[in-house]
Amino acid sequence: MSASGVSVPSPAIRCSGVSYRYPSAHPKPGGDDAVRGIDLTVARGARLGVLGPNGGGKTTLMKLLLGLLTPQSGVVEVLGGSPREARRRGRIGYVPQRSNASLAFPLSSRRVIEQGAKHALAPWKRTTPDITERVDRAIELTAVQEFADKPIGALSGGMFQRVLIARAMAPGPDVLLLDEPTVGVDAQGQARFAELMATLHRATGVTVVLVSHDLRAIAAGCDAVAVLSRELHIHEAPGGMTPDLLAEVFHHDLALTHGSQPHACGHDHGDRAGRATGSEGAP
Amino acid sequence: MKTIEYFSDPVLRSIFLPAVICGLGVATLAALLAPLIVLRRLAFIGQGVSHAAFGGVGLAAVLGLAGGGLSLLGYGVAGVFCIGAALAIGALEERRGGGLDTAIGVVLVASMALGSVLLHASAGRPGPAPPAWESVLFGSVAGVGWADAAAAWAGGIVLALLLWWFRRPLWFWAFDEDAAEAFGVSTGRLRALSLVMIAAAVVIAMKLVGVVLATALLVLPGAIGLRLSSRLGIVMAWSVVVAVLGVLIGMVVSFEFDAPPGAAVVLTLTAGYLVVRIVTPSGARG
Repeated sequence: MSASGVSVPSPAIRCSGVSYRYPSAHPKPGGDDAVRGIDLTVARGARLGVLGPNGGGKTTLMKLLLGLLTPQSGVVEVLGGSPREARRRGRIGYVPQRSNASLAFPLSSRRVIEQGAKHALAPWKRTTPDITERVDRAIELTAVQEFADKPIGALSGGMFQRVLIARAMAPGPDVLLLDEPTVGVDAQGQARFAELMATLHRATGVTVVLVSHDLRAIAAGCDAVAVLSRELHIHEAPGGMTPDLLAEVFHHDLALTHGSQPHACGHDHGDRAGRATGSEGAP
Repeated sequence: MKTIEYFSDPVLRSIFLPAVICGLGVATLAALLAPLIVLRRLAFIGQGVSHAAFGGVGLAAVLGLAGGGLSLLGYGVAGVFCIGAALAIGALEERRGGGLDTAIGVVLVASMALGSVLLHASAGRPGPAPPAWESVLFGSVAGVGWADAAAAWAGGIVLALLLWWFRRPLWFWAFDEDAAEAFGVSTGRLRALSLVMIAAAVVIAMKLVGVVLATALLVLPGAIGLRLSSRLGIVMAWSVVVAVLGVLIGMVVSFEFDAPPGAAVVLTLTAGYLVVRIVTPSGARG
């Protein structure tokens, strides 16, 4: 990513001067862009955490990267083409906020994961060996085996989050987008989330963009942090999350720290987490 | 028993048998949709759409297509009206940014009022009288013939084929709309398809169980099935079994006590739902 100072010809994500404004019956004279002038380059295999308050444009940025929204100005490219095309080819994996799915559904974890790989399969086909292999691989990568055949209603928040990550990984994406992944997940689940993100990245080299208002989610394994409050400010972290980086992030926009206390993250990125803990007073 | 009497007499059998066969078709049709309606929380939309059918019948009556009962064309008019109402609810919801309950409320009362006015206006037309408003609202065995039974079964088969064909994107959408959209599923089309299927089911079911009670048939079997299993395939199977039993028992009750069939079926299914709720505590599904 530009943040990491590495210039690659075909980045995973490239945004240039991207602004988006939702249609409104009562436009404000001063402008009411949801996001404004976003310039962002994420190299393949990089991990970017986007931190920001509610209403800061995080979800809008996700939708722009997914091609669900078209910017009024600027260009969004994913894997060198339009995000819509990348999505259509199954190159983008997406993990929504947990609250959007209902645990009352009579589905097993495996069936939910299969949704990611099978939704576009011809109706008359049961499955293909390739799909079965990819689903099994996603289950293995996310360590879902032990509850793969359990109904989702019996899962904890952390377990269900892993199922949703497995579903996103099932098509074998190059880019993984996560929207508020730690919402509704307990402390233990958050520690496992950090481990899981590291494992996924190590095993697949997938490019990760994670948006959250919770610093713990960002600290769970990102190489760079961007602060988004309509406009994007990127802070480099090639060596992981450091107290200096946190100080820089929070110094940049103190207002963003409301409700987002820095916190230890744990496991795999223990090194980074430890340093994050050491910065509790940073804001 | 009056039921045995009805079915041993050739003349009476010719009146009641089509109603029973139609009832079984309607039960299967509604039961296949019911889990989707319950899980996707479309029950209130179903309520709005089914009440809209009253307006559709009124329109058919004023066009002279309902004399002595709805003609095939009359069904078509009511069906188009219903589908239009369903899509109007969807469009109003979108425009109002999530004001679904208001949209349904508006369409529901407007359709009921329109139906009432049109049925009243059609009363003075020469020729056979249009159906009584009570039978439109609560259903009737008397007017149900073999054509209605055939329509119910044909509708059931078409609906089963649609649900099978679209099963993967449909259940993905129903489970997690945002993620499905992000994965490239055409969520808008699936929503429209669901609304059209609900409207078609209501129009097919309304002659026997009436427009007010059609929604119950579209909800209760699914709600019962969901208490009995945590696997989608088994939930759907339970839904069909429950609906078929509910219709059979309800119709026997209707014959024995001379009660309107729609009401008898709905009360039977409601009793079944209460029993299942009591014997299967929440979270004890297997």
